[in-house]
Amino acid sequence: MSSDERFLERLLAALEESGVEAIVVGTVAAVLQGAPIMTQDVDLLLRDTPKNREKIDRLCAALGGAKPIQASPLSSTVTLVGPSIAVDLVFDQIPPGLGFEKIRSRAVRVPVGSRVAVVASLADVVTSKEASARPKDLAQLPILRDTLRVKRSLES
Amino acid sequence: MPKDSGPHDAAALEAYAERVREARDRLAPRLPDIDPGDLLLILQSLLRPAGWERRFFLRLERHGVHVF
Repeated sequence: MSSDERFLERLLAALEESGVEAIVVGTVAAVLQGAPIMTQDVDLLLRDTPKNREKIDRLCAALGGAKPIQASPLSSTVTLVGPSIAVDLVFDQIPPGLGFEKIRSRAVRVPVGSRVAVVASLADVVTSKEASARPKDLAQLPILRDTLRVKRSLES
Repeated sequence: MPKDSGPHDAAALEAYAERVREARDRLAPRLPDIDPGDLLLILQSLLRPAGWERRFFLRLERHGVHVF
């Protein structure tokens, strides 16, 4: 396993240890389904409940003392700083309003070392990046769309 | 089936390359608008055996250099 896969395996173990149910979304979700792209962080989708907010402290401890920082006063996203790779916690939905349950119903399970990640479908990642329309998302879209088409062609 | 020992095993590497070549030859005519280089890159990534290492995080090192 590469150091990147080991980091993800450790993150999945920490999620399990802290009792947080999370779905891997964003670029890492695409990578885990074969997209040939790179990133600097991991995005996780969680339900925004008081219990989950409490569990974030346990998650931080399980990650060796990470610190949660709100990404912006205008956003509920929390970034865990401290681990070698930043972890972004996104609550309840990702653009364009795709909710936790909907994302989970279409998610795929991907083994990572001794753990299994619940991962947003590649189609949902593409839809989300189209809706976000940030420059870095738009830059990834051509290769993500092509990956989705090639994947579907391979499966047909 | 023999245990796949990864990309440093010549037989496993040849089998992987053959899968990529076969898929490229089959799909290229069906997906003519995808750049041939991109198609090959995507197929290499999609068909990479599960047990082989993958790297996908960029890390910002000192002096502003990104490494993976």
